[in-house]
Order: sequence, then structure tokens, then C-alpha cells
Amino acid sequence: MSFLAKYIGQKVKRTEDPRLIQGIGHYVDDIKLADTLHVVILRSPYAHARINAINTDAAKRVPGVVAVYTGADVAGKVGNVPCAMAHPELKVPAFGVLAQTKVFFVGHPVAAVVAQNKYQARDAADLIDVDYEPLDVVSDGEKAAQPDSPVIHEEFGTNIALVHNAGVGDIDAAFAQADKIVTQRLVHQRLAPISIEPRGVLAQYFPGEHQLNLWSSTQIPHLMRTQVSLMLGMPENRVRVVTPEVGGGFGCKLNVYAEEALLGWIAMQLHKPVKWIEGRRENFQATIHGRGQTGTVQVAVKNDGTLLGLKYDVIADIGAYHQLLTPAIPTLTGLMLSGCYKIPAISMKCTEVFTNKMSTDAYRGAGRPEATYLVERLMDCVARELNMDPVELRRKNFPQPDEFPFTTACGVIYDSGDYEKALSKALTIADYQKLRDEQKAARAAGRVMGIGVSTYVEICAMGPSAAMPAGGWESATIRVEPTGKVTVLTGVSPHGQGEETAFAQIVGDMLGIDMNDVLVVHGDTAVVQYGIGTFGSRGLAVGGAALVCATEKVVKKAKKLAAHLLGADEASLTFEDGKFVGAPDDKSLTIQEVALAAHTAASLPEDFEPGLTATHFFEPKNFTFPSGTHICVVEIDRETGELEIKRYIAVDDCGNQINPLIVAGQVHGGIAQGLAQALFEEVVYDENGQLLTGELMDYAVPKAHQLPRYELDHTVTPTPVNPLGAKGVGEAGTIGSTPAVANAVIDALAPFGVKHVDLPLRPEKLWRMMHN
Amino acid sequence: MHKFEYASPTTKEQAVALLGKSWGETEALAGGTDLLSLLKDYLVTPKRVVNLKGIKELSSVLTPRDGSARIGALASIEAVRDLGRGFAALSQAAAGITSPQIRNMGTVGGDLCQRPRCWYFRSGFGLLAKDESGNALVPNGDNRYHAILGNDGEAKFVNPSSLAPAFIALNAKIKIFGPAGEREVEAAKFFVTPKSASEREYALQPNEIVTMIHVPSTLGVRSATYEVRQREVLDWPLAAASVALTLDASKKVKTARIVLGHVAPVPWVAEEAAQSLIGKTISEDAAAEAGRLAVANAHALSRNAYKIQLASVAVKRAILQAVS
Repeated sequence: MSFLAKYIGQKVKRTEDPRLIQGIGHYVDDIKLADTLHVVILRSPYAHARINAINTDAAKRVPGVVAVYTGADVAGKVGNVPCAMAHPELKVPAFGVLAQTKVFFVGHPVAAVVAQNKYQARDAADLIDVDYEPLDVVSDGEKAAQPDSPVIHEEFGTNIALVHNAGVGDIDAAFAQADKIVTQRLVHQRLAPISIEPRGVLAQYFPGEHQLNLWSSTQIPHLMRTQVSLMLGMPENRVRVVTPEVGGGFGCKLNVYAEEALLGWIAMQLHKPVKWIEGRRENFQATIHGRGQTGTVQVAVKNDGTLLGLKYDVIADIGAYHQLLTPAIPTLTGLMLSGCYKIPAISMKCTEVFTNKMSTDAYRGAGRPEATYLVERLMDCVARELNMDPVELRRKNFPQPDEFPFTTACGVIYDSGDYEKALSKALTIADYQKLRDEQKAARAAGRVMGIGVSTYVEICAMGPSAAMPAGGWESATIRVEPTGKVTVLTGVSPHGQGEETAFAQIVGDMLGIDMNDVLVVHGDTAVVQYGIGTFGSRGLAVGGAALVCATEKVVKKAKKLAAHLLGADEASLTFEDGKFVGAPDDKSLTIQEVALAAHTAASLPEDFEPGLTATHFFEPKNFTFPSGTHICVVEIDRETGELEIKRYIAVDDCGNQINPLIVAGQVHGGIAQGLAQALFEEVVYDENGQLLTGELMDYAVPKAHQLPRYELDHTVTPTPVNPLGAKGVGEAGTIGSTPAVANAVIDALAPFGVKHVDLPLRPEKLWRMMHN
Repeated sequence: MHKFEYASPTTKEQAVALLGKSWGETEALAGGTDLLSLLKDYLVTPKRVVNLKGIKELSSVLTPRDGSARIGALASIEAVRDLGRGFAALSQAAAGITSPQIRNMGTVGGDLCQRPRCWYFRSGFGLLAKDESGNALVPNGDNRYHAILGNDGEAKFVNPSSLAPAFIALNAKIKIFGPAGEREVEAAKFFVTPKSASEREYALQPNEIVTMIHVPSTLGVRSATYEVRQREVLDWPLAAASVALTLDASKKVKTARIVLGHVAPVPWVAEEAAQSLIGKTISEDAAAEAGRLAVANAHALSRNAYKIQLASVAVKRAILQAVS
């Protein structure tokens, strides 16, 4: 099918933005239903304790309080928080929506107070008297794996939830042949996703209709509907999940938490709408964290820089319970340990351990930043060991463009790639040789300057269904309405990715209509056919692909009707710029005219269904593998250890770009979060399992002025996996940036004999490195 | 949050009459950026909150031609940031205060009277950070943000005010209003190190309020504030220095004031460091020497030695910035 690319590839401003910038969009908390009651959750202040008794009498007496529920009230009535990973050896503790006999982390929900307003509920929650008996706390992942550690979930007799092995190739032979073996211990600190809008749920129940409506700030409305219906024993078709605007997800809303089912259950008890909006401190305690791996990497290498093998032995500190994808995230690390290099043998042993902390789960990048960070950090370590330029070492081990599809020793098949192209482009923009000369001069003058390179590849467009716990396809419906306006129903659930714009661009071009005539509807399970959701950089690459296929179907159907109405042979018609042309006497029909005829149905071909609508469920054949090169230049203040990013260059390859403005926006935000991991952010629990970084005062999220000016460019290597040739870009910045910054800082500190520093690279740490 | 009575007087006389005679009975509300979190965390549990924002006369900022300034206690921090060149130390200190929202909500009087950020205090262990058995928590605890100067007593927190060092460096006076009328104290004497957890960190009586800060003429004064923070974002500096200098015709230092912030339970006047500059032309070496002297008597706790280095650097850089 051919079309004029009037919108596709253009920097079209996002149609979502005017309402968001003006503050007139609707988030969960903006939805007001009459007689709504407000819920406050009382959470455990202890990381590990037995609950001997709970007294709610005083709380119940607070004016305005309608009900107080504890674990005893929900036991046997509300199902457990679900874990989607099915693995025969995986230990899955029962995670009730309210704690039963014990609490296992600070923030564990213990009771729910329902009142006429949230202030009454909050005051009443403070009056609940819980008799806790503190138990031994396991707060360190490595210690948790030791046989002498206290056991968190006694029923398992161990804190080890799963041992996951990955990788293929003869690893022992690879290490036996090595000229050098480079070993490094690395810590991927825990991070908090920090969406600006915390989580929130509004639940409304109609007893007569036996219908439950849930408004939730989520990335996965349909999956949530399925899970909540199972937790509540409600027929799935009587639960409706609506996702209004979502103020940031980053993976933390790719989940089903205790609160969704709990609020639904409370609404069903009280027959009144109930709302719960998470506070920021709750958000730190009870919304999933990301990363949290501590391990040792070993790389076997020849003296000429040829990589032979990589081993990664890691402990993943997953917290007290499984959330939806908790145990699956570290396995994604295992898929990407080859980075963008030819490594014949790879072996990972990942031990996932329970600790008395909040669960880890998907946070922007989800398992892949860990892989990229360790591979890219090790590439620099190896280069240093071999006295090679880090760029040359990388270059030497790239698979060449003609080697794609390229199968790695992690067992995945990279769809397409041209790593050298992005690298050369980035080096040219940076003027790499000149930078190295400047560095020499700076060092001679006593200044501390460093240059860091990271060449990354990520696994995106999740994914083929065979590799996913609950389907990896995506759905789209396109309806050409009688007036010619077009409604798109997409199964993805965009929450900042700009698909309302990008999808309208695609349909506008494919149908030859004004993109403003296209309305993209998402996030309402009563309106939109089942879909999987938005995560893993899949919105465009899988959801957009479904839309392309549905649009093709609709054009095919319209053509049949156009041929009938024009008295033409269908084969002689072509669809160009919104019109069916090629009929006798130069007669033509626009898509809008055909749509009207399809609905009035006055004259239809035989066996032609009235209406002009089509649905497609798209199943991708493979993941996609976006890639790129990031280069970071830093200078460190010798007297204070403060760091300045002098330059930041990112050349990303996400395949074909539908909207380069949105791509750049995704890269900007991604780099901000990746760089924040490198420099600022760290979730810290003390030895008692107390969360020391429980608010934004103690957990440092960067402000705009702390971020550098980005120098962005791109290369285009389309993927053969979907009809758009688009690979996805939501996580690229987060994945490429952390190692680029870390490598720059460690390069800067090389004259002080520093070979590695764990993240975050705070000034005090750097100052100590320079003054030891 | 406990229930409290809310009073919103429109004159300072009414306000002080509504304030209680002992600490804890009542709390004064200005911008609320600190008080609200103290209330929510039950760190203060007043019977009455007295809103000062209705007292319109306390919001004005006057900068007459003589180079002085009269800054109402309810003036926003943002208004101080806008004071401009003659008040460089002050406006630079104001600019360092985290977010535009805080600078617009927060008041000058509130900045001076905010409670310490010590996390033991904020977690309910009191100003002197002691556990139930009376054991001091700071010396063996996480003290990386605690005091390096003036820390030989029980108080180990640091004064959190960003503006105080600049006011002290500029020889400001603080006007206070109470039941007996108006009184004035030097900014340097406004701050005190409490001896017990029931005392406060400033020289107000429980039923007194700050009404105005008077900065004397800044004509010919070169001033600056330099802060070092961990580039964390909604935080307070790890160390800061405010400097005010006058120079003679040959560019030699005639008078000097150096005040450190965030290093001691009170803003710390570095007298010896300031004296070292007198008669000298400012140079990198002279500034560095003053920086060294400013922390000569510093005493690190178990985890905050880095702050000594930062305080010294802050003094050096503030001096250089003042004359640049």
C-alpha cells in the first residue's frame, strides 16, 4: 500500500500536550463522584514483625470514619497479589492485600481506614493500635542468601526464591583459552521510579447491575481487569478498568498492587465510591523499586581484544514478595549479556533472594540497564587492562551489518543493527580525538576530566507471546465513522509516550486524511478490545503495527465498496491521498464518501457487511533490538568532588521514526533517568530494614538545571519484525546513559589509580577517591 | 495531626496576645513550608496555630537610597532573591533555596525560625537526638550532615537557615515584637545553642514574633554567598559561607565578616578567618588561608569529615566571588 508521507517522519507537536500543559487533563484524583469515601492505608513501620493484636476501636470512633478493615476482614475474601511468572522452582509467598499474622517490609499494608474525607481517615489511621513483636530483619541481599541468615518466609526454609541460569556456549573452554581474565564486582543500586503522579484508585460498585468500575493510574488496564476480577471472584466482564491520564509510569504502574482489589472490595462492602491516592512517602515504601543486583562479572579476552566469554554471578535482592513481574526482571538481564558484541560463550547464575524490603520489579529498562551497565563497564575495564582505547575494543567485537539476524550466546536473535555507524557518528559529533587531546592538556594542568563511551543494544517491543507471561501481541480497531471521522481503539495504554499523536499521524497518512480527524481512544476496558498495555518500548512497535494492519484491512474493505459504487473493477482502483481513483470516466470517491455509503448501506456489494471498521491483533515474530552510542564528557572539582557534565552526545537507532520530536523527548527523559542513576539516586534501607530515603528530601531526583544540554542524533536501521520498521525508544536513553556517565567519571579518576566506583557517583565518594 | 485552634489575627498586637507563654502551646504560621510537615509528623502538637499572614505590614521590602534594606518578616524568599547587586550575599543565599515553589511560599522570618533538618529530630528523637534511655544518637549514628563546629555540647544539629549567615555577615539587626513591645537584636545573637530539648534554637520568647530584618547600608560592601551541596535537589547545603568585605582605595581589605552556614548549631562567625584578611589584597592564597582558619577548630564526627573540607572551600570561594 502506498501513501504520501505527510505526517509520518515529521516533528508533529503532541496533541496530548495542550490539555496537560494547561492542567485540564484528568488524572484519577480529578475524577469526582458524588458521596465518595476516602481510604488511608495504615502501613507497617517495621521491616519484619509479628502482629499480636490490632485494636481499631479508637479509630472507628473518629467522626467521619465509616469503616476500618484489617487482615482478618479480607482473609479468604480477597485473593493474593498476583505474580505472573510461572516457574516450577519459583517460591511464591502468599501476598495478601492486608497483612495477616506478620509484616515483611516497611510499608506493608496493615489496615484500611475509610472516612468521609482523607484527613479524617489519616487521623484515624494514627489511632490504630497495632501490637508488633519485632523479628530478625534481613536487609542485605547477599547475607540473605547465606545459610545462616534468618529466614523471612518460614514455609520455604530459605530466602532463595529462584536460581536462574542462562547463557550458552562452552564457558570453561572460553576461559581456558583466555590470555586475560578481567573480574569486577558491581552493584546496581535500588532505584525508586518516582512518577510525578503517585498511584491512585477510585472504585465504584453498582449492586443492582453487579458491576465494578475501577479508575486506576496504570499502564495495563486489561491485565488489571483480569487480575482484579480473579482476586475478587467477580466475572471479568463485570469489572471495568478505566485509565485516565497517567502522570508517569516508568514500569512502576505495570503492575497489580494490593490497593486495586482492596478498593474494589471496599466499594462492594459499602456500596459507595471509594478513593485512595498514594502519598509520596507511601510511594517510596509501597510502590515497586527497580534494579537491586549485586554481582561479579568475569570476562575472558585475548590480548588482541577479542572477547571469548563472559560470566555473571549475581544476587538479585527482590524484596519481601513478588509483585507482577518481580522474579522475571533479572532474567531479562540474562538475555542481554552479550551487549553489542560477539561473545561466543556466556553464563549467568542469578540467585533471587527475599529481603525485608519492598519488591523490585520493572523500572524503565527493567533488567536491561543492568546488563548494559555491566557489559559496558567491563569493556572499559578490559580496555584498561589491555591498554587499548575503549572505542577500539568495542569496534573490534561488533557483529557486522551483514551478520544480522545475529544470534547471541544468550539465545536471542538480534533483528538488525549497524553499531559502527552510530559509533562513528557519535565520535564525529564529539570530535573524540580532540577530546582525548584536551584531556591530556587538562590533566597536565591538574584538572580532572574524563570521557566515557557506551555502545548499547536493548531488547524491546515486548514481545513475541511465547516469551511473555500473558501474551505479547497487541490489538487495534479502526472505525471510520459515517461522517468520515476516524476512531482508533488501541490496546496499548499510553501514559506520556505520545501515541495519541503518533497513531493519528499513521492513520492520517494511510487514509490520506487530516490527522486531526483521528481520535485515539485507549485505557477503558469497556470501550477498547482486550490489549496488553504499554511497557517494554512496545507501544508503537507492537501497538502501532496492529494499527497499520487494521488500517490496511479497512482500506481493503473500503476499496471493495468503492469499486461497487464506481462501477469499476476492484483491481483497477488505487487508493491515493484519501481517494479511490482509476475508475472509468475519472470518477473517484474519497474515503469519507465511502464511509458514509458503508453506513447508509443503500447499495452494497453482495456479502458486504455494513459499516467500515476493522480490528487486528498483531503478533510480533521477534523482539526488536534498538541500539546506539552515548558519549559523556565530565569534569570533577578537585576540591569538592562535585561533577559537571560538560558534554553529552547520544546517537540512537530506534529504526524508523514516526515522530522525531517524540523520539527526542523519550531520549531526553531516558537519559535524565539513566544519568540520575549514575549520579544521584539510591534507595537505602538500613540494617533494620528502615527506609532511609523515604522522601524527596533524601532521595535525589535531578532538577532540569542539573542536566546537560543533549547533543542528539540518530541512525536508522529498520527492523524487519513489524510493518513500521520501528524498534521502540522508550527505554533507550535510560539504558545507554548510565554506563556512559560512569565510564566518564572513572576515566577522569584514572590518574588516581581508580578502576571502578559503584553508583551513585556522589561528590563525597569522588573526593575521597582523589584524596586517599 | 492533632486538632488545634486556628487564629488569623490582622495586627501584631493581636498575634502576640494569641501566642502562648511557653513553647509547644502555640505555633506561629507564616509560609507553612516547615510547620505543616512538623504538624503532620507530630513533632509539634500545638493547641493553637496563629497565622501571621494576615498582618499586612510585615510583608514589605524597603530599599532606600542609602543602600540599606528593611525586609518584613513575611516577605517571600523570592523577594530577597530579587534584591540585587548590593545585597549579593543575601540574594545568592536566597537563590540557593531549593525550588521556586518554596521560595515563593517561604518567608524570610520563616527561614530564620525553621527547625533543624537533623533526621533524628525529624524522626521524633528531639533536638538533642536521644533515645528513650537518654543515649545520644548522633555520635555513633548517621551524622554525615551534622555539625563540625560548635559540636562539643549535646546539640549536634546544624542551623538550617540559608539567609542567616548572609544577614550576619551584613551586620543585620532583627526586630522582634512581643507583649512588652518592640526590641532589636543583632542577627548574630538571634541564634542560640539549646541546652535542653525543650528550648528553641533562637532568642525569641514563645509569645514573640520576628517583624523585620534591618540590613544597614551596603554601599561599598562586597558580599557573596557560596554553597556546596551534594547536588541533591530538595536538600539543604552541606556547607555554605557568606562573606562581606569593604576595601580601601588600594584594594586592601578594610573590614571583613565571614559566616558559615550548615556547619554548627548556630550560624558560625569565623572571626579569626575574617581578621586574617584585614590589610591584604584578596588573592587565591589569602582566600584559601581564610578558608583554612575558618575550620581550624572544626571537629569531625565519625562520618562528616568531608564537611570540613567543603566549609573551607566555601569560605575561599565566597571571598573570591565577593571581589570578582
